Amino acid sequence: MLQHIIPATGLLFTLQNILWINIGVFIGSVFAAIPGLSVILCVILFLPVTYSMTAIPGMMFLLGIYCAGGYGGSVSAILINTPGTPHAAATMLDGHPLSEQGRTKAALKIALYASTFGGVFSALMLLFLGPQVARIAAQLGTAEYFMVCVFGLTIIAGVSGKSMIKGLISACLGLLISCVGSDPMTSYDRFTFGIPRLYLGLDLAVCLIGLFALVEIMAKAERRLDRLNLDTTQIKDDGVITKAEYKRMTRPVLISSLIGVMVGIIPGTGASEASWFSYNTAKNMSKHPEEFGHGSVEGIAAAESANNAVTGATLIPLLTLGIPGDGTVAIMLSALMINGLNPGLSLFTTQGDIMYAIMLGLILVNVFMFLQGKFLTTIFAKVVSIPQEILTPIIVIFCFAGAYSVNGNYFDVGVALIFGILSWVLRKLELPPVPILLGLVLGSMTETNFRRALLISNGSPSIFFSSVYCIIFLVLIVGAVGAIVRGKMKERKASQQKED
Amino acid sequence: MKKKILSLALVGAMCIGLLASCGGKKNATWKVTCPWAPSGVAAMVSQQAATKSTSYSDTITLVAEAIKGDAATVNTWVADTKANDTELVFVGEGLLSITSILDPDKMQFGYEDFVFVENLYSSIFVLSADAELNINSIADLESYVGQGNEISVAVNGATGSEAFLAASLFGAMGAGDKLKLTPYQSAAEAAQAVARGETQFAVSHQSQILETYQQKGVTVVCAFDENDIANGPFEGVEGVGQHGYPYFRNRCFVMARAGTDEAKVKELKELYGKILADQEVADWLHDTMLLEVDTMSVEDVEAHIDNVKSIVNEYKDIVAG
Amino acid sequence: MSKWVEQFNGRMDAWGRKLHEKEIRIPIDLVTGILFFLLGLGVLLVMPDQVAISEKDVVNGRAFPTMLTVVLLLCCAMLIGKELYKLATKQPLNWKVINIQVEIKALIILGILVVTYLLSKLTGLFVVGAIFCCLGFLLYFRCRKKSYYVITLVIAVAIWAAFRFALGVDF
Repeated sequence: MLQHIIPATGLLFTLQNILWINIGVFIGSVFAAIPGLSVILCVILFLPVTYSMTAIPGMMFLLGIYCAGGYGGSVSAILINTPGTPHAAATMLDGHPLSEQGRTKAALKIALYASTFGGVFSALMLLFLGPQVARIAAQLGTAEYFMVCVFGLTIIAGVSGKSMIKGLISACLGLLISCVGSDPMTSYDRFTFGIPRLYLGLDLAVCLIGLFALVEIMAKAERRLDRLNLDTTQIKDDGVITKAEYKRMTRPVLISSLIGVMVGIIPGTGASEASWFSYNTAKNMSKHPEEFGHGSVEGIAAAESANNAVTGATLIPLLTLGIPGDGTVAIMLSALMINGLNPGLSLFTTQGDIMYAIMLGLILVNVFMFLQGKFLTTIFAKVVSIPQEILTPIIVIFCFAGAYSVNGNYFDVGVALIFGILSWVLRKLELPPVPILLGLVLGSMTETNFRRALLISNGSPSIFFSSVYCIIFLVLIVGAVGAIVRGKMKERKASQQKED
Repeated sequence: MKKKILSLALVGAMCIGLLASCGGKKNATWKVTCPWAPSGVAAMVSQQAATKSTSYSDTITLVAEAIKGDAATVNTWVADTKANDTELVFVGEGLLSITSILDPDKMQFGYEDFVFVENLYSSIFVLSADAELNINSIADLESYVGQGNEISVAVNGATGSEAFLAASLFGAMGAGDKLKLTPYQSAAEAAQAVARGETQFAVSHQSQILETYQQKGVTVVCAFDENDIANGPFEGVEGVGQHGYPYFRNRCFVMARAGTDEAKVKELKELYGKILADQEVADWLHDTMLLEVDTMSVEDVEAHIDNVKSIVNEYKDIVAG
Repeated sequence: MSKWVEQFNGRMDAWGRKLHEKEIRIPIDLVTGILFFLLGLGVLLVMPDQVAISEKDVVNGRAFPTMLTVVLLLCCAMLIGKELYKLATKQPLNWKVINIQVEIKALIILGILVVTYLLSKLTGLFVVGAIFCCLGFLLYFRCRKKSYYVITLVIAVAIWAAFRFALGVDF
């Protein structure tokens, strides 16, 4: 590890990288602060920008957006009682009440400090755990990789949306769409319907622009044009946090960061799950549980440290196995692969300098997030009230320009539009889009490993039960399905009881 | 006042925009499309050449791009470009000699759609074996094949150059019917497969098997060349040619669109020549990538394509069934 | 002009109020199950035409999509079966209310997107589509602030210029 750290530091500390980190952090904070815009949408919109960059600045830019998105959502949650991102909902429960008590600056400060701690903790975990997990991953063969893909897809299908069956339908749809183009094993065309542009398959970024961004534009039809007029002069408090408060926050921040890392490592679970889980844990462990929901500093600190502790952890399965920890990092996979960085042990050995630069860069991202949060919070607070009339066409133009720039043709813009319509229909049918995204990302990997494993075993499916790793993943899949089904049944029962 | 400033800004921005989109474009940036994996040898060499281009030319800047997709990428490239466009593409024997015979319908282009600029390197593929088999030479290999064992070989792509080299070697040894080719998505993956024991053999670039070889996961049996490897970590590895087995080196030609001005092609060829003569590039190719600088003429290119075609015609039944 | 706009908006509002009351209730799980079951059958039907295979392959290019389609069909069958069981045992189905006004508004937005795409494609000038897009959405939102028009158009041109000149996208 040490042999990579010094050259990695040299690669990382360039003016270009520092600039891209700061641009990413700023954009991520702004997007996350605006209710209705999500971090995933922001990463999708700016992904094409990274296509002309090399690996390190490109990843620094995207990681800047990703990490700052974890913090930015708390700004609107605290100021206007509307979470900028779904994972800031737990922060809102205590952040806004604290703001109403005249301690807006203090609430924002706690969110920032906790987010930074969670982020740095997670980045360190990635730095130390990543190479170890990669070593294990290197022992996985073709059959084992197929099982890993199935494991990832099962969890994502299970936890996205209300129904596991619908999650599976979405995942199958994503995997089927990934089959369009040339067969990864034989190069024969599949489902191209004689359209030459489809021989190369559908570009991930283009599909995602439709699935996640254009559909949000169409969803404006569902919403009223709410005015979020914020009076930033209300942030008048001195923002002082007492020693006693710092002391109270230490334990929840530490525990929540650990929870965030553990949740982040599991594919398919993300910042929302981590922040709620941590919030409830902090409440149960607190000496003042009665303060939760009424402006508890522990509540804000727990939720914010957890949702930022997810950021580094989600990269562990991504960089070692190629399985994204959540939807946002799934998109980052294409930024890595376009630069020839394929997940696995070789990433940590032959491309070690670049990889360590990216991992160290994540710490730097959190440092700049802290600095921007400290000095630019007033700006982030102001953007909360950017009018939708201005924002909507700007997002559309970004979507179209992004889709066009992927391959430099309007065919891709048309594809993005079609995916936008598809996503709208899926939304009406209550089918979650995240399993489609994972299906698209994991499709080729799942298929090639499935077919190659059967080729190696001369068509015998026994190869999928032939090694210890295969059995472990099989047990994990069965266990995860059991836990998800049980959880869904409990949820249903609880909602039925509520209705009664 | 505020409105006036905003209106002026709008008018200004629109005027600049329209003028820029109507105005002619003079750009000396040549995009070099590599239709294979961005982590592959060709893409890396192309990237290195692009990085060096600004040091040797004021008029041409090379920009490397890798779009995995093989024939599909080149089809799109041919459809989107015309003569004198500042676009270059890599085309290898895989497309010109293999796909053109096995699956001509897939290619919406022919050799005549390109004009040859330069060949950057040649790579000698090697056959590696699972270390547990203890096969260290062609004699060992012949003896192993003679025992009538089933032979599984990891290759990059089902019908790529590596597949045909494996087919030609084992076919010539009389074991074509025992051969099972297991395709992987990159040469690096194929090299790792043999170390994991998924296959007994792998055909790969030398650089891609080096790490596994150094970790004693594999032995390197032979090289697909006339003579023994002369230097580098695999120095002394036997060439199959001297044992009478067929072989070819892997080459990737940089091509421009047919009809492009001869002067421009000449200028590009000269630029590539200067880049390849750069000691730093030559050392990197030789020491890190384990490749040889190999500039060629049009005649050399055609001879290479014909040689590979003859091997493909002879062994296509083993590979494609 | 402003009178005409007022009249137009008034008419739209009246129409919108009427449409707002119109709703369609659909048994969402049943419909999803049937739709995707049909899609699965469609995929199986076009498979022989759309996926060429080699007879020599142990596992050919149809294996994976076929497996996925079978899983899709099974999921759909379970979804349909569950809803039919609910119907038979007189349990309430999972209904979804579709508001006609919302859908028509979504169609108008889609119209703006499609026209933006077509204008950019047919003129070959992305900036033309971008300007239409800004005007289309500002009119859709009934924006009356001139400064919003100016700000949006300036940003639109700036985005195009950033992609065109900074990122080298030729459009």
